[in-house]
Amino acid sequence: MAATEAQKMELNKHFVVGVFDDEDTLADAITFVKEKGIKIHEVFTPYPIHGLEHKLGYKHSWLPTAAFLFGATGTTLALIMQIGMLGVDWPMIIGGKPFIAVPDFIPVTFEMTVLLAAFGMVGSFLVSQDMKPHKVPRIFDRRATDDKFIMAIDLAENTLGEEQLKEVLKEAGTEEGTEEHPAIFRKDFTDEENNPSFIGYVRKLFSEGVLANDTSRPVKS
Amino acid sequence: MQIVSQVREPLITGKRTLHDITDDISSRVEEKPSKAWILAFLLSLALLGAGGVFLGDMLWNGIGRWGLNRTVQWAWDITNFVWWVGIGHAGTLISAVLLLFRQKWRTAINRAAEAMTIFAVICAAVWPVIHMGRPWLVYWPLPLPNTFGSLWVNFNSPLLWDVFAISTYFSVSLVFWYIGLIPDFATIRDRAVGKWGRLIYGALSFGWIGGARSWVHYESVALILAGLSTPLVLSVHTIVSFDFATSVIPGWHTTIFPPYFVAGAIFSGFAMVLTLMLITRKVYRLQHYITLEHIELMNIIIIVTGSIVGIAYITEFFMAWYSGVEYEQFAFVNRMTGDYWWAYWAMMTCNVISPQLFWIKKIRTSLVATFVLSIIVNIGMWFERFVIIVTSLHHDYLPSSWAYFTPTWWDIMCYVFTFGLFFTLFFLFAKFFPVINMAEVKTAWKNSNQDVYKHNKTIEDPNNVI
Amino acid sequence: MAAHGTFDREKLVEHFEFSAKAKKTIFTIAGIGLIFALIGIILLATDSGHDEHANLIESGNTLASISEEGTSGIEAGGHGDEHHAEYHWTQRLKANFWVNSIFFLGIAVIGVFFVAIQYVATAGWSAGIKRVPEAFGWAVPVFAGFLGFTFIWGNHELFHWTHDYLYVENTPGYDAIIAGKAPYLNLPFFSGRMIVFLAVWTLFFYLIRKNSLAEDKATSFDEVYKKYRNMVKLSAGFLVFFAVSSSMAAWDWVLSIDTHWFSTMFGWYVFASWWVSGLAAITLAIILIKEAGYLKFINENHLHDMGKYVFAFSIFWTYIWFSQFLLIYYANIPEETIYFIERLGTHYAPAVFVILILNFAFPFLFLMTRESKRKHITLKIAAIAVLIGHYIDFWLMITPGTLKEHGSFGFLEAGLPFVFVGIFAYIVCYNLAKNKDSLVAKNHPLLEEAYNHHI
Repeated sequence: MAATEAQKMELNKHFVVGVFDDEDTLADAITFVKEKGIKIHEVFTPYPIHGLEHKLGYKHSWLPTAAFLFGATGTTLALIMQIGMLGVDWPMIIGGKPFIAVPDFIPVTFEMTVLLAAFGMVGSFLVSQDMKPHKVPRIFDRRATDDKFIMAIDLAENTLGEEQLKEVLKEAGTEEGTEEHPAIFRKDFTDEENNPSFIGYVRKLFSEGVLANDTSRPVKS
Repeated sequence: MQIVSQVREPLITGKRTLHDITDDISSRVEEKPSKAWILAFLLSLALLGAGGVFLGDMLWNGIGRWGLNRTVQWAWDITNFVWWVGIGHAGTLISAVLLLFRQKWRTAINRAAEAMTIFAVICAAVWPVIHMGRPWLVYWPLPLPNTFGSLWVNFNSPLLWDVFAISTYFSVSLVFWYIGLIPDFATIRDRAVGKWGRLIYGALSFGWIGGARSWVHYESVALILAGLSTPLVLSVHTIVSFDFATSVIPGWHTTIFPPYFVAGAIFSGFAMVLTLMLITRKVYRLQHYITLEHIELMNIIIIVTGSIVGIAYITEFFMAWYSGVEYEQFAFVNRMTGDYWWAYWAMMTCNVISPQLFWIKKIRTSLVATFVLSIIVNIGMWFERFVIIVTSLHHDYLPSSWAYFTPTWWDIMCYVFTFGLFFTLFFLFAKFFPVINMAEVKTAWKNSNQDVYKHNKTIEDPNNVI
Repeated sequence: MAAHGTFDREKLVEHFEFSAKAKKTIFTIAGIGLIFALIGIILLATDSGHDEHANLIESGNTLASISEEGTSGIEAGGHGDEHHAEYHWTQRLKANFWVNSIFFLGIAVIGVFFVAIQYVATAGWSAGIKRVPEAFGWAVPVFAGFLGFTFIWGNHELFHWTHDYLYVENTPGYDAIIAGKAPYLNLPFFSGRMIVFLAVWTLFFYLIRKNSLAEDKATSFDEVYKKYRNMVKLSAGFLVFFAVSSSMAAWDWVLSIDTHWFSTMFGWYVFASWWVSGLAAITLAIILIKEAGYLKFINENHLHDMGKYVFAFSIFWTYIWFSQFLLIYYANIPEETIYFIERLGTHYAPAVFVILILNFAFPFLFLMTRESKRKHITLKIAAIAVLIGHYIDFWLMITPGTLKEHGSFGFLEAGLPFVFVGIFAYIVCYNLAKNKDSLVAKNHPLLEEAYNHHI
């Protein structure tokens, strides 16, 4: 069942998801799957795994550059502020020092550099990763934040069909799986799930509650 | 795959699985508060309330309620400020400096230590604010335009540097801590079976789902924040030391102050982390994550920083003699033998002598000894600040104005207030936030459950109750 | 990526050969240095320095008019003038020997310190390179000898406090402040300390080296583990001794040159300067040995860590420098500010900015990116810049106090360090090659971590 034009047109998304129970198996599986010419949508892991980004072909983060630029802005602003206020706007002799006593300005300059670098970088991170309190995440498997390693393959991005992809994932070494939590499954996101509204999410949560099969922890009776 | 040498102790004991880690730590957040917790929390609130009454009275009537006099204008207030700020250094040190030095054992303690840092900085910030006498004018040190006063703030003043340093440190530490919490909030969100838990922890987790792309950026952010926090943490206590060292008061004006204050801060901060973690470990049964190895390593850091502080004391003393400046010489002899000799010797015993006991392996792997010594170190570090501040002031250049400082109830109870505040915040944290960084501990898990340690006997934990 | 493949300790064994090519390079460097130094000496001996001196005074050089007692206010300038009259060009040679001996002795001992700190901190990444800094230790006794020789030869010219007339009360030469320091600054105690420090450093190096080589011969893991634990204990012992002795050595050998002046930070300042220079030297040595075809499994990941060290501790040095400077600048007490007036208000001023650029601005900006910490060429540039910067730093600590207005940076100052570099490199290479010991500590229990290290 290859991805048809019709499927690409609609806004619904269809994925094949594989669940792995070990970081090394996942790392090997990425290589294996990629060798088959399959494009991986994303992998989800409970903790950062070193070296995975190389296997997936991700670039180094650009955030250090952002931090440097924000930091340099902080340095400049701090110097302008101090020189402007004490050197130009209202010069005063303090402790027998020159109006612009550069050594005295260094502590504040340093603090402002760090402040802007840190906040600028974290802000860039949150904005670029679309992280915000009212974000409704698109979750493939809730166990990805517990102890499982999840690989998602977008059907629309690959020529192989669902069954073939499932076969590849199985070969790649997914876990055993159970009836309740299969190791390989298809996951569809509707148009609304892809572009959720926070209000709608909260309304749904309060009308339907948390569904029993939607947690990674057994619900206590 | 990482290779871990045989000589390293396991960082996680007890054959925990990844899921066990999640369970052990998230359950503490999910279950109902225990009786012990409620009791401890109420006790902290009581301290907060009792101290608050005196604090309120002091604010209403003015800081004349304190025991300050014309000669000793700075005493407990600034002592407590420096003491709390010092304690507030360990968290960032553990998460930033040890991250840069790739010390994996930090993963089990960094969360609680960072939380402690933030609460300690809040407690510290209380002091300069109330010492202003009119705390509602707290915005005056900000560089606001002329119409607010008559002039700009004085950027030549170390007290103003402090405003920038402490506020930067507080906000950057908070951000650093929060970034670390995001994946763990996501874990709790995904485990939540109630709609409130799903909603609140969902909002706290900022929609984190653990995609590899996000992790790349996340790791980068953590590393750069660590790189920024390391000089920041040094700068904060350096600037605190400038409050004293830029002056021309004998005993205060000495160039070794910046690094020596930083070492002292790390020293007291680690001691406080140990005090809190030993209790948390016992109550929450975290001995698989905070093993004796962790405690031993922290004790070794206490030896190192304690010895650095000791060397600095001796250096100061030596240089006071060597300089030939009689005022310096007097200040130091007065510390040792003057009216406050008891404070000086309390400081020496607690800070220099007692941590040397940790050279003995039996002592540094004993929970009881560690707990007792960690408290002794913090008492010593309080006395250090008291000695530096009060003994340098009480005998000034004019013998006719020499005075002695005695604390009043308001001094004592305001200090108790900050303890109440600290423990209230810490208990709230311990109940509602995961006390151990699950995601980071899991990174160390893979190599910790393997039997590569056969040559090295894992230290047995006498309190292993699970 | 890191070197991969199966990990086989025996295969990692490498024997360093002191090749003719390396010898030639070392002799060339030392030779050029020697030629420069000799030109410098000839120029000084033929008295062409006089014009320089005259020019300096004409151009308003304050050092020519500041004699050290001029600012203390305790005594009138008396014997200061004596000094001017006494100045002889060999004084400059002695001062330069002193600068070089201390600087290179520091780098040598930092090699041992580096190894010790790696053991105490259980650092895995550095296990593969540890034989290089360890070999630096061979230079400790040699430069200790230089230091002792220079002290015997030139203590009167280097150390004002060695003059007896300072201690005779009720004479014009009497200096109450220096006389007050006599219990610490006197020849027997001073030389005693010097001998003890140098001897104990050498002893610790000897023990650490011996234990390290014994580890190679060990056959079972238990034996290796025992050696490893010994090493940790020895290292801890060395660190404790070094923590105290490095500070005291700095007071003795450098601080006491400006006899009236004092700064509690000074011991740690000298240590910080030594430490960064040592790290830069280790980085440079590893790269050069690697480029000669050894240390095959050492790759950019290990170098990245060395680069980080140089980067971070350059900032640390700046922090110590700035803290000391700011506190003295801010409080503005004449007894203290004299030190910086002698350096910033005189013809030495450019050197202050040179060290700040070479030791802070340059490594900070240049080593900031990830790639620059991983490439041989960038690391070499940074390491050499930092080494030059810290050499000038030591020159700037010692020269204004010993040579006053006569000090300057000429052929001698530019040439002599290269002679010392040659001696240093020769000692390290010779000893690495001598015993046919492996260049890689093959039984180091953390070696596998280093082998698989990647960041």
